[in-house]
Amino acid sequence: MSDLKIIFTGPVGAGKTTAISSISDVPPVNTDKAASDMTKVKKNQTTVAFDYGVMNLNGDEKIHLYGTPGQERFNFMWDILSTNALGVILLIDGSRKEPLNDLIFFINVFKDLISKTALAVGVSQLDKSANKCLKPYNKKLREMNIKSAVFEVDARSKTDISLLVKALLFSIDQGLEYAS
Amino acid sequence: MREDMLASILSELNGTSADIEASAVISTDGLMIASVLPQGMDEDRVGAMSAAMLSLGDRTSGELGRGELEQVLIKGDNGFVLMTHAGEDAVVTVMAKPRAKLGLIFLDVKRASENISQML
Ligand SMILES: Nc1nc2c(ncn2[C@@H]2O[C@H](COP(=O)(O)OP(=O)(O)O)[C@@H](O)[C@H]2O)c(=O)[nH]1
Ligand SMILES: [Mg+2]
Repeated sequence: MSDLKIIFTGPVGAGKTTAISSISDVPPVNTDKAASDMTKVKKNQTTVAFDYGVMNLNGDEKIHLYGTPGQERFNFMWDILSTNALGVILLIDGSRKEPLNDLIFFINVFKDLISKTALAVGVSQLDKSANKCLKPYNKKLREMNIKSAVFEVDARSKTDISLLVKALLFSIDQGLEYAS
Repeated sequence: MREDMLASILSELNGTSADIEASAVISTDGLMIASVLPQGMDEDRVGAMSAAMLSLGDRTSGELGRGELEQVLIKGDNGFVLMTHAGEDAVVTVMAKPRAKLGLIFLDVKRASENISQML
């Protein structure tokens, strides 16, 4: 099978929906609805099923991109979307109060998938944050014994998100080579 | 107040047919607005599942040329789940027994949804 599937996950407002629409080569499918929960202090719309896009690679390979809802009440969608995924992109909103807690939370949720595949972490919203340092994220990942690149990203930037996806693909490739 | 009136519409709906076991009004982003559910059924799950299914139904109906979505119907061994829009921002979810008379339920739910959408 030459089709790859990866998922974008992370807390509400990290930029999963935006990231997929930034890099998709087809019009993305989005299932955002008017927010009535705490989300609405940050933004008007929230994802209730999934985001979907496609990124074309060289040749006729393509990657299917699935974005998850952020709120825990949608955790059944996290399971559904994880099936057969070859890697996880975790977007963290670096301007939130305790972004490391979000990192730990989502890594624990996707622990099995991550241990079998690969992870790349993008920290967004750092332009709005007082604390712009990525070191704490790297440190926490080391403590958790997780191998992952960490990048500062702006979900609105196609360049940033493409780079993040490429970093993930690179570590998936390495994993495959180790396995074979 | 509004919750009470919604709950009374739902109770009435549950009363119209012995086949209806539960009903709820949910915002399109998956939060419970009012419900008449059996003990032990998790409101959050009902809410989130309804929102996800209805949004997929919306998209599927539109993208496959079936027009505006009216309802999503799920059939399992142990019965039905029926989700219907109540205006733009809410969903009415109804759970019914396995051998329920769907035609009648469709009608009752449609009527209830119209009443509910006027109250929201
Ligand atoms: N200032 C700033 N805004 C960003 C950045 N990344 C994403 N955004 C905005 O943050 C919001 C993220 O919303 P959304 O994509 O719906 O987040 P989701 O809940 O993760 O799907 C959007 O309004 C983006 O335009 C960033 O790095 N800086
Ligand atoms: Mg989203």
